[in-house]
Amino acid sequence: MSDNVKGVFAHLDSLLTGIARVRKAGYNDFTVTSPLPRHEIEEAIYDGMPSPVRWWTMTGGLIGGSGGFTLASLSSAVWPMALPGGKPVVSVPAFFVVTFECTVLLAGLFTLLGLLFHCRLPSLNLDIEVQDPRFSLDRFGLIVHGAGAKRAEIAKLLHDAGAEEVANAEASHG
Amino acid sequence: MQAAQTYADVNRDVLRPLFKPTPLWAGALALDLVVLAFGAYCWAHQLEWGLGVAGYTPPVFWGVYITTFVFWVGIGHAGTLISAILFLFRARWRTGIYRASEAMTIFAVITAALFPIIHVGRAWYVFFLFPYPNQRELWPNFKSPLVWDVFAINTYLITSTVFFIIGLIPDIAAVRDGSTGLIRKVYNLLCLGWRGTDNQWRHYMAAYGFFAALCTPLVLSVHSVVSWDFAMAQTAGWHSTLFPPYFVAGAIFSGCAMVITLLVPLSKIFEWEEYINVWHFEHLAKLCLLTGSVLTYSYGIEHFIAWYSDNPYEWGIFVDRATGNYSWVFATMVFCNCLAPLIWWSKKMRTNLYVLFGVSLLINVGMWFERYNIIASSLAHQFDPGAWVYYQPTWVEMGILAGSFAWFGMWFLLFVKLMPAVAIAEIKEAMRPPLKHDHVEAA
Repeated sequence: MSDNVKGVFAHLDSLLTGIARVRKAGYNDFTVTSPLPRHEIEEAIYDGMPSPVRWWTMTGGLIGGSGGFTLASLSSAVWPMALPGGKPVVSVPAFFVVTFECTVLLAGLFTLLGLLFHCRLPSLNLDIEVQDPRFSLDRFGLIVHGAGAKRAEIAKLLHDAGAEEVANAEASHG
Repeated sequence: MQAAQTYADVNRDVLRPLFKPTPLWAGALALDLVVLAFGAYCWAHQLEWGLGVAGYTPPVFWGVYITTFVFWVGIGHAGTLISAILFLFRARWRTGIYRASEAMTIFAVITAALFPIIHVGRAWYVFFLFPYPNQRELWPNFKSPLVWDVFAINTYLITSTVFFIIGLIPDIAAVRDGSTGLIRKVYNLLCLGWRGTDNQWRHYMAAYGFFAALCTPLVLSVHSVVSWDFAMAQTAGWHSTLFPPYFVAGAIFSGCAMVITLLVPLSKIFEWEEYINVWHFEHLAKLCLLTGSVLTYSYGIEHFIAWYSDNPYEWGIFVDRATGNYSWVFATMVFCNCLAPLIWWSKKMRTNLYVLFGVSLLINVGMWFERYNIIASSLAHQFDPGAWVYYQPTWVEMGILAGSFAWFGMWFLLFVKLMPAVAIAEIKEAMRPPLKHDHVEAA
């Protein structure tokens, strides 16, 4: 039998109440699913802590910018025979475009990698991962993991918060 | 159509047209494929016989292909402008139209990317365009605007595509959850198994914001770099510092017009008037009025500077554009880009779907002719009067031009049947969330 308890909520405020009560009761191992991003949910769970994806973006931008400028400069240094318009071998204005483009390109690709890494994607196992098609339609889910012997207590807590349905759930940590 | 009151209504309305080919859609795709086949035949003919089948007349070696390349890159501006810049500005009217506009951007840039390949004639040498180590004595010149363009276009294509796909992921998951069997498996693969958990949404929103911030300077830079393909050359009519803002304004102008051209019929045919309607089109028309005014000012100022500079070559080309062999091109450009959009100063006209559609078509025509006017007329009327020529496109070039529209149309037609062309999650964000008590218990 599953060790998770799933509450299905039709209303956002009921869900937020459920999150608050679950945390207050000392259960911090839970997953919330929703059909849309809501900042209220993020604030209720992460207390304003920003996503680490920003570090991936910055790392990619730094690598891209320095790499682009180095690529252009070393190419010119290795083959310095032609100097269009009398420009110096390493010409900052001329190389700015390549530097800028590589900065944006690598920052974007690193952001993508960071997103996939932190979201744990791809994760293609339908049977385990997708608990309920309603969660991409019009319902919010609050799944408490490792309920163990306190299943009944958690179920009551979710029900009292306004869950329209409380059940066992096949869910993994999200 | 029943109005969307709940989140479930949004899924119902947006997913309804998927996977069900109607006779109208199938007919449009069949016609599109016929034109595409003719375009492919024209390109095959050129590959067999060489660039001699194009109308190139020395010294004019940039013609319809480069014109069409710049045209499609320009069309590709509006989507990212709408999805990224307007996202950062929190413009609410972008929500309904940004997905289809982004798709338009990707397909336009994919179409543009064909033209350097077609333009070089011997397409199997197209890798010469990319800077690679010079074992073959091909020096990678990073001081050339053509190399900058390779970086700019590819960065724009890759970054915009990733931004587009990231936006699609939660909505593909919604398609998956509303389907069964093979479709469910395929869409689960496409959305990478997205589940919409708190952890996923948290990182998703952060990444989405960063992508919007990264794409914003790209919108402005990519057509600036394209303009330097011309402005960095000494050719009269091209060598101007005005070109970057002039090209960016023109690109946004043509891109927004293309969004109107595509979405007016789309919202009617798919009964999406609640999500894409006159409110959105009016904002796009206003954006066209603004950028069209910048464009008209640019046309005026480049003529003024040519006269004021007292440079006979510069002034000569601008007089020739208006009165010489290409005067019909110039007149078409001025009518379509400067005069026709003025009708949108009237609210009645910019809220009339027929007028919106008709004027947007004229702008598309006018913006193609603008690029043709810049490219062909300048090269045909350079410094030496002995080298003045009249370049005229051949049926092969016009066939490939028509084929490019069919190529773009094919991708767009397939997209609207296979993917949600309206952003489901963002439409829901713009709606009032379902609340039971209007207050939240403190943690």
